[in-house]
Amino acid sequence: MSSTPGAAPQHPAPQQAPPGPARPAPGGPGTAAPDTSLAPTVRQLWARSRGILVALLILLVFGFSYAVFRSGEHHGQLDPRSPDRYGSRAVAQLLEDHGVTVDVVTTTADAAAATGPDSTLLVTDPDMLDRRQLGVIHQAAADSGGRTVLIAPGPTAVSTLLPGVDATATAGVDDLAPACDLPEARRAGDAHLGGLLYRHPGVPGATSCYPVQGLPSLLRVPDTTGQGDTVVLGTPDPFHNHRLDDEGNASLALQLLGSRPHLVWYLPSLSDDSVGEPERQDFSDLLPSGWRWGAWQLAVAAVVTALWRARRLGPVVTEPLPVAVRAAEATEGRARLYRRANARARAAEALRQATRARLAPLVGVEPSRAQEPDILLAALTAHVEAPAPQVRSLLYGPAPEDDSALVRLADDLDALEASLHDWQVRSP
Amino acid sequence: MAITGRTAALAALGALLVGLLMPRWLGVLVVAAVLLAGILLDLALAAAVRPLRLDRTGDTTIRLGEQATVNLTITNPGRLPLRALVRDAWPPSSWAPGTEVTASRHRLTVPAGERRRLTTVLRPTRRGERQAHTVTIRSLGPLGLAARQGSHRVPWTVRVLPPFTSRKHLPSRLARLRELDGRTSMLLRGQGTEFDSLREYIPGDDTRSIDWRATARRSAVAVRTWRPERDRHILIVLDTGRTSAGRVGDAPRLDAALDAALLLAALASRAGDRVDLLAYDRRVRASVQGRTAADLLPSLVNAMARLEPQLVESDARGLVAGVLQRAPRRSLVVLLTGLDAAPVEEGLLPVLPLLTHRHEVLVASVADPRLDEMARARGNLDAIYEAAAAEQSRTERRHTAQRLARHGVTVVDAPPATLPPALADAYLALKASGRL
Repeated sequence: MSSTPGAAPQHPAPQQAPPGPARPAPGGPGTAAPDTSLAPTVRQLWARSRGILVALLILLVFGFSYAVFRSGEHHGQLDPRSPDRYGSRAVAQLLEDHGVTVDVVTTTADAAAATGPDSTLLVTDPDMLDRRQLGVIHQAAADSGGRTVLIAPGPTAVSTLLPGVDATATAGVDDLAPACDLPEARRAGDAHLGGLLYRHPGVPGATSCYPVQGLPSLLRVPDTTGQGDTVVLGTPDPFHNHRLDDEGNASLALQLLGSRPHLVWYLPSLSDDSVGEPERQDFSDLLPSGWRWGAWQLAVAAVVTALWRARRLGPVVTEPLPVAVRAAEATEGRARLYRRANARARAAEALRQATRARLAPLVGVEPSRAQEPDILLAALTAHVEAPAPQVRSLLYGPAPEDDSALVRLADDLDALEASLHDWQVRSP
Repeated sequence: MAITGRTAALAALGALLVGLLMPRWLGVLVVAAVLLAGILLDLALAAAVRPLRLDRTGDTTIRLGEQATVNLTITNPGRLPLRALVRDAWPPSSWAPGTEVTASRHRLTVPAGERRRLTTVLRPTRRGERQAHTVTIRSLGPLGLAARQGSHRVPWTVRVLPPFTSRKHLPSRLARLRELDGRTSMLLRGQGTEFDSLREYIPGDDTRSIDWRATARRSAVAVRTWRPERDRHILIVLDTGRTSAGRVGDAPRLDAALDAALLLAALASRAGDRVDLLAYDRRVRASVQGRTAADLLPSLVNAMARLEPQLVESDARGLVAGVLQRAPRRSLVVLLTGLDAAPVEEGLLPVLPLLTHRHEVLVASVADPRLDEMARARGNLDAIYEAAAAEQSRTERRHTAQRLARHGVTVVDAPPATLPPALADAYLALKASGRL
C-alpha cells in the first residue's frame, strides 16, 4: 500500500484524490449485475460467419456447375466400352461381331498373363507405363507369337518395347496413303494417320507405312520367332468412334486387331501396382504390427498435445511504449562523424577551447575573456613551470598532424590542467 | 473450450494400450472414443463462464515503485461448482518483466451459488494509467480433461503517480526556509519588504536593520526582523515537447523534470506561495490552477501521472501566451525545458522578453551525465573524438545558458539526481534576495 497521509503530511496522499475509474455498481444479491462477458452470442456468431458461409456456398455451386458443364470430351478415351467421340466401342463391337473376344484389362500383370500366340495385345497408352511395367510387357510379348499393337508410344516407351526403333518427329493427323506392301494397309487404303513418326535404323524385317516426309507413322516389326509381330501407330485416330467410318480407318483397325481370335485391350491406369518388387520390404513391414498402431496412436497424442498447447488463456495484451531515444545520441553521432571525416582540427579546437574555459577561473581570468590568447597566457605563465612558448603552442597551436598527435594533445591538455590543480592545492 | 495436458497424457498412454492389446484401427478408435466421451462429459459438467458475475475493488492510485492490490470477486450463480484457472490480464508494464505470468494467473474454486475473491498484485514499472484488460476464465470439468473458456471485461484503472524520489531533500530545504523566515535564532535577513517583529540586538546582526526609534524608547538596542514575502505566485511550466523525450540514464528527461517540479511545489507551498502548473508542447497537456496548499500536491501528481513526452517541436509562442494568460500579475515562472541550442534560439529567445518584462523567469534543464562521461574519455582515437564532441555540446549548452542569463533569466542546469535540490536552492536564493 502507499504511504499513510498522517506519517508524511508533506507528501501527496494518493488516496485522497482517487480518479474514480468507471466501475460497475456493486452486484449485490437482487441487483442485476451488468453482463461483462465477452463471449459472442449466437446472433453475433451468425453475423460474423455468414459472409464466409455465403462465400463457401458460392464456391461449391460454381465448382459443381463447372464440373457438370465443362467436363472434358476426352473422357473414356480409347475405352472399348465408351460410346463417346473419342471412345472405341464401335471397333470393339465390330470385332466381336467378327468373332473376336475382347477382354479389357487394367493391370500390367493381367496384360502380361493374357499374351499368347492366338491373342492380340493392344496397349492404348504406353507412355503411362513406367520402366518396370514396360519391361514386363516387353518380356511377355516378345516371344509369345502373338501380335502387340502400341498406340502412339513416346521415345521412352518405344525404345524399351522395340529396341532399335525411335520416335523422332511429330506431324499433324491427316489422310495418308499406305505407300507400302503391308497387306493390311494395302487392303485398307487411305487412312487417318500421322502424329508421332518413327525411325528404325537396322531393324530387320520392319515395314514402314503411311509415311510423312519419309518417316512412317505406322510400323510393323516381326519378332524373332517369325510368328508374332509388333505394330506401332503414331496416333489413336483410326480407333476413335467418330473417325471409324472415314476412309479406310475401320478396315485398318479391324485387320490390325482382328488377326487373332482373342484381343486383350489393355487400358493402363495410374493406380496399377500389380507389378511389385517382391524382394523389397520397407522398415514398417519389419516392425511388429503393435508398434505401428502404437505409433499411430502417438501421432494422435501429438495432435492432442498441439491442441492443448495452442489454446491461449486470453488474448495477448499490448501497450504503447514510450520512445527510447538517448539524450546523448546527437553528441555520439557527432563524435562518429568527426571520426569518419578525420576532423582532427575541429576536435582539437573543441578540446582546447574547453580546457581554456576551465583554466581561466583557476588563474583569475574572467570566463568571458578566456578565449583571448594574450590575457590567458599572461596569467598562466605565472602559475605553470612549462615554458611559455610550449603552453602557447599547446593551447593555441596548429591542428595536430596525425591521429597520434591528437591523442597526445588531449593528454598534454589534461596534464596542464592537472598541474594547475596541483598548484592550487599546494599554494593556498 | 480447451483441453488439458491430462488429455494429451492419456492419449499418449493410449499408445501402449493400442500397441500391446489392440494393434488395429479399432484400438485407435476405442482410445479416441473414450477420450472424446471424457471430454464431452467434462464439458457438460464444467460451470459455464458466461453467467459468472465479476466485480472489482482495490487501489486506484499508487506511486511508482509501490504495489497496488486489485481484488476481483467472482460470483457463481449456476448450479455447478466452478473450478477455474483465471487470468487477470493487465498491460505488460504492470509487472516487472518475467513475473507477469505468475502474477496474473490464479486458481480458484467457487462452489455453486457462492462467491470468492482473488487478489492481483500490480507492481507497475512506468508512470501513467494502467487499465485492466480482460479477465479470462478457464472452467475445468471434474475429470480435468477439458475446460470451457471465456473472457469478461471488468474495467478498472490504476493510476501510477510520479515517484517523487526527491522528497528526501524536502526537510533540509524546509529548514533553510525557516531560517529565511526569521523564526530561528540564526537570523538571515531577507530583502523582502514585509516587516515581521522587533527583537534585541545580537552581535553579528546587520547594523542597518537597527530600529533607532524603538531603541530610543527602550533601554536595549532593538533590530527589526523581516520575513521574506509570502503569498507570491509561482507558475511551473513543463515543456513536454521532443526535447523532454530524450533518455537520461534510464528515464526520459521529463521524469526528472517532474521530480524537480514536485519538490519545488512542495517547498513553495510550505513557504506560503501559491503554485500553479502548466504542461505544454503544442497545446496544453495539463494545467493545475488555484489549489490550496493542502490540495496542491495530490492535484499535481494526478495531473503529472498521465504526462508523456510528445515527439513534436514545442511551440514557444503558444507557451508564452499560455503563461501570460495564467499569470496576470508578477510571478515566478519556472520553465523546465531543454538547453539545446536550436530550439532555444529559434523558439524561446525571440519571445523571452515578453516573459522577463513582467515576470521573474527561472529556466531549469536536465543535464546528461553521459556528456561528462564522454568528455572525460581518453586513450584511443574514438574516445578523443567522443570527448571533443561532448566538449562541443557542453560549450553550446553553456552559451545557450549565457544568452538566457543575459535576458535576466536564472538558469539551473543539473543532472537528474541533483536537479531537484538545485532548483529548490535557486528558488530559496531568489526568495532570500527578495526577487520574488
